[in-house]
Amino acid sequence: MATAELRREAPTAAARRERGALPNPDVQSYSDVNRDVLKVLSRPGPGWWILFGLAAGGVGLFFTSWFWQIYKGIGVSGLNAPVGWGVYITTFVFWVGIAHSGTLISAILFLFRAPWRQSIYRAAEAMTVFAVMTAGLFPLIHVGRVWHAYWLIPYPNSRFLWPNFRSPLVWDVFAVTTYFTVSAVFFYLGTIPDLAAARDQARGLRKKFYHFISLGWRGTDREWHHFSKAYIYLAALATPLVLSVHSVVSWDFAMAIVPGWHTTIFAPYFVAGAIFSGVAMVITLAVPMRKFFGLENYLTVKHFEAMAKLCLVTGTIVLYAYLTEYFLAWYSGEPPERGSFWNRAFGHYWWANWTMLTCNGLVPLMLWFKRVRRSISALFVISIFVNIGMWFERFVIIVTSLSHEYEPWAWGLYRPSIVEMGILIGSFAWFGFWFLLFTRLLPPVAIAEMKEVLPPPLRRRRGS
Amino acid sequence: MSGHSVPSEIPIRHLNRSGPTSTALGIMIFAGVVSFFAALFTDPALAWKSYVVNWNYFTSLSLGGAAVAAVTWIVKAKWNWPIRRLHQSLVAFLPISFVLFVPMLVVLREDYFPWIAMMEYDPIVQKKAAYLNIPFLVSRNVVGVAALFGLALGFVYLALRPDLGALGRGGATAAHRWRERLTAGWAGQEAEENRSYHRMTRLAPVLVITWVVVMTILSFDWAMSLEPHWFSTLFGGWFFMASFWGGLAATAVLAVGLKGRDAVFDKHVGTPVLWDLGKLVFAFTVFWTYLFWSQYLPIWYGKLEWEQAWLATRLGPPWGGLSAAVIVLCFVVPFAGLLGARPKKSPRVLQSFATVVLAGLWVWQYMLIFPSLHHEGDAVFSALTPLIGVGFLGLFLTAIRWFLATFPAIQVWQPPVDPEPLEAEGR
Repeated sequence: MATAELRREAPTAAARRERGALPNPDVQSYSDVNRDVLKVLSRPGPGWWILFGLAAGGVGLFFTSWFWQIYKGIGVSGLNAPVGWGVYITTFVFWVGIAHSGTLISAILFLFRAPWRQSIYRAAEAMTVFAVMTAGLFPLIHVGRVWHAYWLIPYPNSRFLWPNFRSPLVWDVFAVTTYFTVSAVFFYLGTIPDLAAARDQARGLRKKFYHFISLGWRGTDREWHHFSKAYIYLAALATPLVLSVHSVVSWDFAMAIVPGWHTTIFAPYFVAGAIFSGVAMVITLAVPMRKFFGLENYLTVKHFEAMAKLCLVTGTIVLYAYLTEYFLAWYSGEPPERGSFWNRAFGHYWWANWTMLTCNGLVPLMLWFKRVRRSISALFVISIFVNIGMWFERFVIIVTSLSHEYEPWAWGLYRPSIVEMGILIGSFAWFGFWFLLFTRLLPPVAIAEMKEVLPPPLRRRRGS
Repeated sequence: MSGHSVPSEIPIRHLNRSGPTSTALGIMIFAGVVSFFAALFTDPALAWKSYVVNWNYFTSLSLGGAAVAAVTWIVKAKWNWPIRRLHQSLVAFLPISFVLFVPMLVVLREDYFPWIAMMEYDPIVQKKAAYLNIPFLVSRNVVGVAALFGLALGFVYLALRPDLGALGRGGATAAHRWRERLTAGWAGQEAEENRSYHRMTRLAPVLVITWVVVMTILSFDWAMSLEPHWFSTLFGGWFFMASFWGGLAATAVLAVGLKGRDAVFDKHVGTPVLWDLGKLVFAFTVFWTYLFWSQYLPIWYGKLEWEQAWLATRLGPPWGGLSAAVIVLCFVVPFAGLLGARPKKSPRVLQSFATVVLAGLWVWQYMLIFPSLHHEGDAVFSALTPLIGVGFLGLFLTAIRWFLATFPAIQVWQPPVDPEPLEAEGR
C-alpha cells in the first residue's frame, strides 16, 4: 500500500483569526474581553440618548395610534371588504420572520459547530426576543376589539366554547407563544455567565440588579456542566421551532383557497424568507453597534462575510420560490391563478411587486462577489434593501391576492390609513427601544464564549 | 458536527475487484435486461413505466452524491474527509445514465405522456402547450441533463486529479490508462492541488444551482406532468431534496460496506464519521417528511377537487397500501431507528436504516409515476418492475466499483483548511 505525504501544517493564529475562530490580536486576555464588552454597559453617550429619545417618541406614536383605533374603532384603518388583512398582518409576518435568525444563529449554528456565530449570537438572540414581542402585538391590534383577544386562547369555560382548532390562526397562537418561550429561555440562559461577569464589575444598584438576574452564578465546574447540558438540550429543542413557526404562519395563507395564497411551497419558502430577512436585520443592527461601541475586534469582517453568505443562500431559495410560483401560476392554466400573478406584476400594486423582486431577487445577487461580502458598508446597504423587500413581499402576498380573488365584481383596493402607518413606524421604534435598552443592560457580545477561544491565563514567572 | 482531525498521512487505497462479485453484478444486469425485454413484449407500457421509475431513482441517487459532495465542499466540511470519494463515486453512474436516457426521449414521445392525447380536446392542457410539447421537452431535457451531468463529472474530475499524481505514471492496465488520461498536462502536486481547490470552489455553487434547476425540470416532466391538471409548487423541491437524502443514505451504505471489507477504511471511517453521517440521514428523514407534510396539508385542507385528485388516487384503493409503505419506510422506521446517538454510531444499524431509506425512496419514485399512468386492468405491482430495477442496480454498482477500483477510494489530498480546535463549541 502506497502512502502520500501531505503538506498539512497546524493552522496559524492568523489563519484561525481570519476564519472567525479567534478575535483580533488586540484581544489577548480574559480581562481584555471583560474590558471591551463591559464598557458598553457604562454611562451612555449623547448618541445613544438621541436614538433612545427617538425610539421613545416612536413608541408614543405607536400607542397613540393604537389607542385612537381602539377609541374610534377598526374603521380608522384602511381594512375593507375584500382586503380584510393589510398592514397589520403584513407587519406581523415581517416581525415573526425577523425573529428567525436569532434561533438559527444561536441554536442551529451551535449544533453545526460554526465558530463564527460566537460574536454575533447574543445580539441575534436579543433581536429574536424583541421581534417576537413586537409581532405579538399585531394580532391584538388587528382584531380591533382588543379586549376580546383572549378568545384566541383555549381555556376551559362554563359555556364549553373553544376556538376552532382547525383554524391556522389558532395554530399560530401556539406556534408563536412556544417560539417566544423557548427563545426567551434560551437567550436568558446563555447570558447568565456574562451577567455574573457584569455583576463582578458593577457597583451600587447595578450590582444588585446583575446579582439578582445572574442567579448567584459562581462559575464552578458543576455549574458549567449543568449549564452546558441545558444549553445543548435547549438548542436541540429550539431547532425544529425554526422550521415550525414560520411554516405555521405560512399556513395562515396556504390553507385558504385564495389565488396566490393556496400554494404548497409556502412553508419552506416562508422559512427561508424569514431567515433571509432575519440575518439581514442582524447585519443592519450589528454594523452600527460595532461602530458606536468599538466592537471592531469582535465583530470582524469575517463574521459579516459569513452572514452575507447565509443571506445569499436563503435569498437564492427565496428567488427559486418566486420563479417557481410565477411559472406554475402560468402552467396551471387556471384563469384565477394566472390572473392573480399577472395582477401582481402589472396590476394596481405593480410597484410593490417590483420593489419586492428588486430588493429580494436582484440586489442580493451582488453578494456573489467576495468584495461586496467583505465590505461592511455595502452589506449595510444591501441589508436595508432586503428588510424593505421582505416587508413588501408580505404586503404583495396579502394585499394583492385579497384584492383580486375569483370574481371581478368582488375585486377591491386597499390603501393603508395614517393610523396604520403610525403603528407600522411605531413598531420599528418599539423594537428599537428594547434593543437600545438591551445594549446598555446586557453584554451585547457573549463574554464567556469569547474567552473560550483565547488561550487560558497561565501563571508567569516574574520578568518572563 | 463532531470534531475531526485529518491525519497527516492518508494511505492510497483501491477497492479490490473480486471474481464472484463481478459474476453477481453480471447476473443482476442480465436479469434486468431480460426482465425489461420480457415486459416489452408482453406489456410495453409496464416496461417503460418501470424503466422511467428506475432511471429516475438511480439517476437521483447519483446526482444526490454529486450534490452532497458539492455542498459539503462549499461549507468547508471537515467531518467527511474519509468519505468524500464515496460521495463522488456515485457520479460514476452518470455516463451510463445518459445513455439510458436516450431511449426515454426517443421512444416515449408517442403515447407515454397523457398530455399528448389530451392536447386534442382539453382546454386546460391546451393552455400549457408552450411547455408541454415534445420538441421543447426533448430540448430542455437534453440540454439540462447534459449540463448537469457534465458539471458533476467535471467536479469529480477536479477532485480526482491531484490524487492521481501521487500514483506515478506508466502501467498497462485500463486503470493506468485512465489515470494517464486524467493527468494530462500534470503541473506538479502543489500546483494541481491549488488549481483543483480553487476551481472546485468556483464550480460547486454552479453545480448545486444547476442541480436544483434541472432536477425541478425532470420532476415536472417525468412525474408531475403525468397528471396534466395537477401541479404543486413544492414538487420540484421535494424531488431534489429526496435526491440529496438518497445521496447521503447511499454514502452511508457504501461507507459501512467498505468498512467491513477493508482494514484501512475501518480505521479511518470511524465512529465520529458514522455518527455525523447518521445525524444527516436522520435530519433529512425529518426534512423529507416536513416537505411531504407541507405539500399534503394545504392540499387536504383546500379541498379542491382537481388538486386532491392526485392525493385521492394514491391514498385510496388500490394504491393506499403502497403509500403507507412509503411513509413507513421513509419516515416511521428511519426516524424511530436512528433516534439517539447509539444507532448512528453502530455501523450495521446505520447501514440497515440507510437501506430502508433507499428502499423507501424507490417505492416513493414508483408511487410518483405508476398511479398517474394507471389504466383499468393494469396490475398495481408487477415483479418485473423491481427486476428491471435489479438490472439498474447492477449497472449502478458496477460503475461505483469501477470508480473505487480505478481511483483512490479515500481522497488523499484535502482542501487547505485544517481542522481547528473548536474550543468554544466543545460543550
